Amino acid sequence: MTVDSTRGVPRRRVLAGGAAAAGTAALAGCGLQAKAEGGPMQFWNFYAPQRSDDPALAAQSKWFTDLVAKWNASHKTKIELLYLPPPIYQTGSKLPTAFAAGSGPDIFLASPGDFLRYYNGGILMDLTPHMDKAAVKDYYKDALASRMVDGKVYALPMEVEPLAMYYDVSAWEKAKLSEGDIPTTWDQLLDVGAKLKSPTRAGIVTETKPGYLQNFLWYPWMWQGGGDVLDEKGRPSVDTKAVRQALQLWQDAVRLGITPRVPPAANDLIAAFRGGNAAMWQSGIWQVSSFRAFAPKFEYGLFKLPTPPGGTYKTALGGWSFCANAKGRHPEAAAEFCAWALGTMEEECLDRMVDWCVKAKSDIAPRKSVLERATRAGGYDQWAMKYFKDEVFPGGRAEPRYPPVIYKAMSDALQGAMLAGRSVDSETSRAAQSVEAYVKSYKGAKLV
Amino acid sequence: MSDLAAPERTASAAPAARPKEPPQPRLSRKHREWLAAALFLLPDCIGLLVFVGIPMVLSVVLSFFQVSGFGSYEWVGLGNYERMLGDPLFWDSMKITGIYVLVLVPVLFVVSLGLGLLVKQNLPGVSIFRTIFFLPYVISLVVVGLLWKFMLDEQIGVVNKAFRSVGLEGESWLGDPDIALYSIIAVFIWVMMGYYMIIFLAGLQEIPREYYEAARIDGAGPWTQFRTITWPLLRPTSFFVLLMSTVAAITGGFELVFVLTEGGPANSTSLAIFYIYQQAFVFGEYGYSAAMGTALVLAMVLVSGVIFKITKGGRFDDGD
Amino acid sequence: MATETRFAPARVTRMSAGRRGRIGLTVLGTVLAAVAFFPVLWMITSAFKTRDTVTDGKLIPDEFTVQNFVYVFTEVPFVRYLLNSFFISAVITVVALLLHSMAAYALARLRFPGRETLFMTIFSTLLITAPVVLIPLFLVVRELGMLDSYAGLIIPAIFNAFGIFLLRQFYLGLPRELEEAAIVDGCGHWRVYWSIVLPLSRPILSALAIFFFLANWNSFLWPLVSTTNPDLTVVQVGIASFQSQYGSNWNYVLAAAAVAAAPMLVLFFSFQKQITESIKTSGLK
Repeated sequence: MTVDSTRGVPRRRVLAGGAAAAGTAALAGCGLQAKAEGGPMQFWNFYAPQRSDDPALAAQSKWFTDLVAKWNASHKTKIELLYLPPPIYQTGSKLPTAFAAGSGPDIFLASPGDFLRYYNGGILMDLTPHMDKAAVKDYYKDALASRMVDGKVYALPMEVEPLAMYYDVSAWEKAKLSEGDIPTTWDQLLDVGAKLKSPTRAGIVTETKPGYLQNFLWYPWMWQGGGDVLDEKGRPSVDTKAVRQALQLWQDAVRLGITPRVPPAANDLIAAFRGGNAAMWQSGIWQVSSFRAFAPKFEYGLFKLPTPPGGTYKTALGGWSFCANAKGRHPEAAAEFCAWALGTMEEECLDRMVDWCVKAKSDIAPRKSVLERATRAGGYDQWAMKYFKDEVFPGGRAEPRYPPVIYKAMSDALQGAMLAGRSVDSETSRAAQSVEAYVKSYKGAKLV
Repeated sequence: MSDLAAPERTASAAPAARPKEPPQPRLSRKHREWLAAALFLLPDCIGLLVFVGIPMVLSVVLSFFQVSGFGSYEWVGLGNYERMLGDPLFWDSMKITGIYVLVLVPVLFVVSLGLGLLVKQNLPGVSIFRTIFFLPYVISLVVVGLLWKFMLDEQIGVVNKAFRSVGLEGESWLGDPDIALYSIIAVFIWVMMGYYMIIFLAGLQEIPREYYEAARIDGAGPWTQFRTITWPLLRPTSFFVLLMSTVAAITGGFELVFVLTEGGPANSTSLAIFYIYQQAFVFGEYGYSAAMGTALVLAMVLVSGVIFKITKGGRFDDGD
Repeated sequence: MATETRFAPARVTRMSAGRRGRIGLTVLGTVLAAVAFFPVLWMITSAFKTRDTVTDGKLIPDEFTVQNFVYVFTEVPFVRYLLNSFFISAVITVVALLLHSMAAYALARLRFPGRETLFMTIFSTLLITAPVVLIPLFLVVRELGMLDSYAGLIIPAIFNAFGIFLLRQFYLGLPRELEEAAIVDGCGHWRVYWSIVLPLSRPILSALAIFFFLANWNSFLWPLVSTTNPDLTVVQVGIASFQSQYGSNWNYVLAAAAVAAAPMLVLFFSFQKQITESIKTSGLK
């Protein structure tokens, strides 16, 4: 009977007879109300806040909640964290739908593969005005380059994640292999893989599901022979021997039964190693902290990705970055937050990044001063971290920021060659054609 | 949330009771019927218009635009449709959808008809059979996907364990492009067979028993009985099952592909519906995706229009 | 007499052939049922295994543990997910049944111009599939201010042509006499609908109720994209997230899956007679 809510009025008018009109009015009213609501900035991510038994995940969550608490204590425009589980965040439809409908988060995490899509869509705020100039220089050039357009920074990396090959030491020993057998060439890699595999143990595991991750894992093999999807000027350069031989390598690995078509143990490296279901596994530095948390006693080894004849060592560097939504409710404050969190020379900022890269996670720091500081703090004393920092990382190249069509062309070639056993030559030339056609009609920020 | 639903409901109740009041000029019986129909239909029609019709129209409109990234729209006319016709991946996805439908629908039909015939018999424990065959249908596709992913795992999966225990190699059920689509079809049949079984059962039980008794006296064997009595009298049910399972096959299966294969390996399970989803939500090609979606809806309208014509306006009576 | 004696032995052999056939069918049924039931059983028993034995390939757990369920309920607000799904599905079911039966009744019984066209139009919306209209639907729901709310989860899900279609089929098969008598007595259409048609529809309504509840309990994509508030998480989204977090811990994942499936299995077991009987009486002919 009360009229305090907006609902009471339309109801009566409905009873009076004007059903449709009143219904529309009520709906329009709701719509306007919802839009007028301001509220705190939303920070969508796949770390926090979450409750977890896993100390690594708990520490990562705490890092984010601490960061936001600190910001909220000293700034007028507050931030609210929203947790989305990693696969839903990374491959799901949630973010794209939200952005497409104009209700994307104010602050979010993006990987290089997403960069151009967001940038060309006008989503990304220029963070440069809020950053220390020294901090821009402090970032590793490569790590920042893929997040810059015309000298301006549009996303700030929080980490650098290089790839290497993990192996199970006990499997290695059981197959009577020694440290001297660690492969340095592709042929040796396949040989060792063939020796290590059994009906229940995969020789070499790598990603087989189509997706950005699979391309990311494959790129270094292509780069090692001097191949590339686009050359340094952004011209298509797919149809080369280097691309073909890298496709051939992955095709051979599957054809010879060394690489399984579906990663064992639901794609969980540690579970597979512990269960004796995998001998070698191509993955990133992030696994080090997982070993630390889940299998501290498990004996595993690491080696740099082997190279083809006449090739040069390369690995791919991944990692996520903070972005501010230019079409959000508080774009300036969001940009300020990103820069404040990761882009100043303040002690607090540097320490925070050290905490993230070597305490909460196991990553290479994206900034020189942070890497030094983390090293001094003993963050890279452990053998695996040290190996990643000193051996693996120096041959690294940042994950490219190719937009979806290019990603898809390469992914189809990779999937076709690797899993459908199609001719490497025809897959290569098909991908080359798609990439060329796309580059010709592409409008937007530079592709490389 | 009742804002939308409630007002119409009340409104539709009121006038129906009102005609008895004298002051109103009495409507003719015909017009009263029109009015009642309008009010009965209003809530659902508004709802369908707002939540299905308008989105579909928006989707068609969107299909004439190139949506680059987020929020920038550029009119391209039929550009997206031209691109679609020249996109081998689109045709691949239509081909995969075609295979999927052409395998799934007949197999599902035969399996559920077979089960319907089986559980119609007066067998000991037949109600348990019915329960069990129907059971998978009540489990969500997300859970079904998880469960089968576990069972079809190459190494730890129970299916391959069973194969290995009898000395066979086992297969990569979800990792081999020649097999993955059929694995998904098999899982979908497992889910859906019980539902259509019950529908067939209902149809079978409507056939008068006397027909069979007469046939038996004439010395007709089970096969002849099936061919001369069951099959022709079951036609309305069969039409219904065909229509529903075709629509379900084209529009459904998304969750399974999403959970089990994500369109891989080598695009072998990239159904049209999944490719459309991928273009929009993974690649941000909303305009292009909308064009393909519109084309798919058109194709479905055609297919079901044909089935609908055959079934005489959806009444499924046997016209002969 | 002669004919009778000729018939008798033939009958006997047919009977025994029939009995043999019945035994054969029973065996076949048992085998098929065992195969069809196996995956469900496998999910349930695996959910009671430990992390180390979950992949051991044995049907009966060596070590029987309920720890997985304890873990699922303490680690994740699963109860909340279940309640959300229950509430949403129940509301959708009740409202949808009422609205659909009204519309279906009008389409089946009331005469008005354009009836067939309208029915065809409504029916054709069945062909519009969720992923195709996801973004426009999202836009509409946002404009209505219902995003990230129970309303946004409930209202768009109410409107579905399938229920209208089935109910119309049912009403087409109802005898007209009762209604016509009532109309002659001067009853309005609403009265006829409310006090004659609706009670007669009880069997199909209960069947559809279960199907609507089931469909909405199991819906995934729309709840996934339309909500961000963790308090609105429904059970299917909850379990998808759970799987993503605990990937290879199949014991936990399967326990969560079993929990998500359990209410539907219970519902089905308690109402299976009604379900099967109702599908049969639902005029699907």
